Amino acid sequence: MRTLLLLIPFYVLPLLVQSDVVLTVLIFTFVLSILAIGFNIVFGGAGQLTMFHAAAFGIGGYVTFLSMLRFGISFWLGFGVAVAVVIVTSIVIGWICFKFRLKEFYFAVVTLAFAELCRLVALNWNSVTNGTLGMLVLEKPTVWLPGMGVVKIEQTLPWYFLTLVCLTGILIFSALLMRSWIGRNFSAIRLNEDLAQTLGIDTFRYKLLAFTISNVVAAFAGALYGFYTGYIDPAYLSVTQSLDAIAMVLLGGVSTILGPVVGALVLTSLPHLIELPAELRVAVYGMILILVILLMPRGIVGLVAGLLRGRVSAA
Amino acid sequence: MLLKVENLTKRFGGLVAVSDVSFAIEKGEIIGIFGPNGSGKTTLLSLLAGLLPPSGGRVLWKDQDIAGSRPNVIAALGVIKTFQNPQLFSELSVFEHVMIASFLAFTRMKHHSRLRSFFSPRQGEKALRARAEKALTLCRLQNASTKPAAELSYGEEKMLGVAMAMMCEPELLLLDEPASGLGNDEIQNLENVLRDLRAHGTTLCIIDHKVAFLAKFADQAIALQEGRKIAQGRPRDVLADADVVKAYLGRHHHA
Repeated sequence: MRTLLLLIPFYVLPLLVQSDVVLTVLIFTFVLSILAIGFNIVFGGAGQLTMFHAAAFGIGGYVTFLSMLRFGISFWLGFGVAVAVVIVTSIVIGWICFKFRLKEFYFAVVTLAFAELCRLVALNWNSVTNGTLGMLVLEKPTVWLPGMGVVKIEQTLPWYFLTLVCLTGILIFSALLMRSWIGRNFSAIRLNEDLAQTLGIDTFRYKLLAFTISNVVAAFAGALYGFYTGYIDPAYLSVTQSLDAIAMVLLGGVSTILGPVVGALVLTSLPHLIELPAELRVAVYGMILILVILLMPRGIVGLVAGLLRGRVSAA
Repeated sequence: MLLKVENLTKRFGGLVAVSDVSFAIEKGEIIGIFGPNGSGKTTLLSLLAGLLPPSGGRVLWKDQDIAGSRPNVIAALGVIKTFQNPQLFSELSVFEHVMIASFLAFTRMKHHSRLRSFFSPRQGEKALRARAEKALTLCRLQNASTKPAAELSYGEEKMLGVAMAMMCEPELLLLDEPASGLGNDEIQNLENVLRDLRAHGTTLCIIDHKVAFLAKFADQAIALQEGRKIAQGRPRDVLADADVVKAYLGRHHHA
């Protein structure tokens, strides 16, 4: 829990840095962190290599926006509809995968197939989703603030704080979840599923729970992303989107609380820091990722934690 | 009658690992199952714990047929099995192991205290933590509590398995060769732990090929050979049984 204090600098940062570019990069970092945290709950927590989180991310964006349009409701209610859709979808897909005891590679392939199915629906259901062209999102989320009433989130600075507060909330939730009995059962499943079962843990139910929670968190990221960029298209549900989140988690540190945030920060800001032609940049980016994963299996957070622990025990 | 096994059979392809075995366990009793390697002891326990589905027969737990139920369902009913080769969550600490094993005890807590423990595990799970400390002390692991399980010795790993099983509050504890690979001192400690369990009303079913270890403990013994039950009764009588002597100790042994 104390590690969350590391977020405090981000709350005072806008006082020192007024650059729109920096704040924008950080907004993307915060939103993608939420997606990565979602993936880390099911993968770093319960050890299930899902490829469905990008689909949940996309469903979050699409359903929130479409239900706002159709039913004339606010962003948050629209997101509530998206949560309901994601929960039902996750339970159906999770039920199929876990009943058939799909593990590791097989689980990844089947969830990937379901994610592609969702992407094809978004791509081809022209009358609703506007197909390949995607949709312009002109609506903005509103929040109620004491003393200011209902405020529309439009400018960079309000977006910065909205996404930062959302990230903080999700981080607190994931930290509580992971140290509770639920998180304990998740790690039991990740480390030795058969043993977990002989200790009375209903592994089917807890895997389903991990999958569902993770997808709801990913959907939240998708809704924020769509409304911040003002544009939703089927690429939200793509494999690339899934892989990006996986890369963030691996780089930052699997099964750590802050890992997904660190990974998202590095991978979102890196392209802006390395001034290279686009093609070369992708190559460099890939190289860095491969090296980091080979040399630091527990990611940046794992490495730093190891160094700190080493210094404590040396002292 | 706590547990009643009726004509239990397990086939692996052409091999019959457990063949038509029937017996019953009374509450509070210690039952020893022995037999040479490959006689079907471990398979029998795995069938009881739901780790393998039986090919035939019934397992009645308090008159309810549990044959073929999932292991977690059977565990929740009060039947817990330990493993011959310790099964662990290697990267976690010893204390985390017993806390994971406290899940069944946790599910028996009141709803509001479970909810509370989500926000403050230390407060909400105080009683469980105290019990975990106690189980570790009994199994002489109190000093290893913060160690990763991967750093334990073989004997410690086995005792951790017992400590985890104790945390599950079993009514019937199935122990798969608990003494194998332990030193004399460790066996002495294991005996103390088993006596303590029995004093608290836990029914024990132990398989072992160390006949002496079982004979000292068991109220009832069952001898298996090639998946069949060849003798049952008081340990002394079973050990003296002509078939058992022949199957287990070799034909030239004179008891």
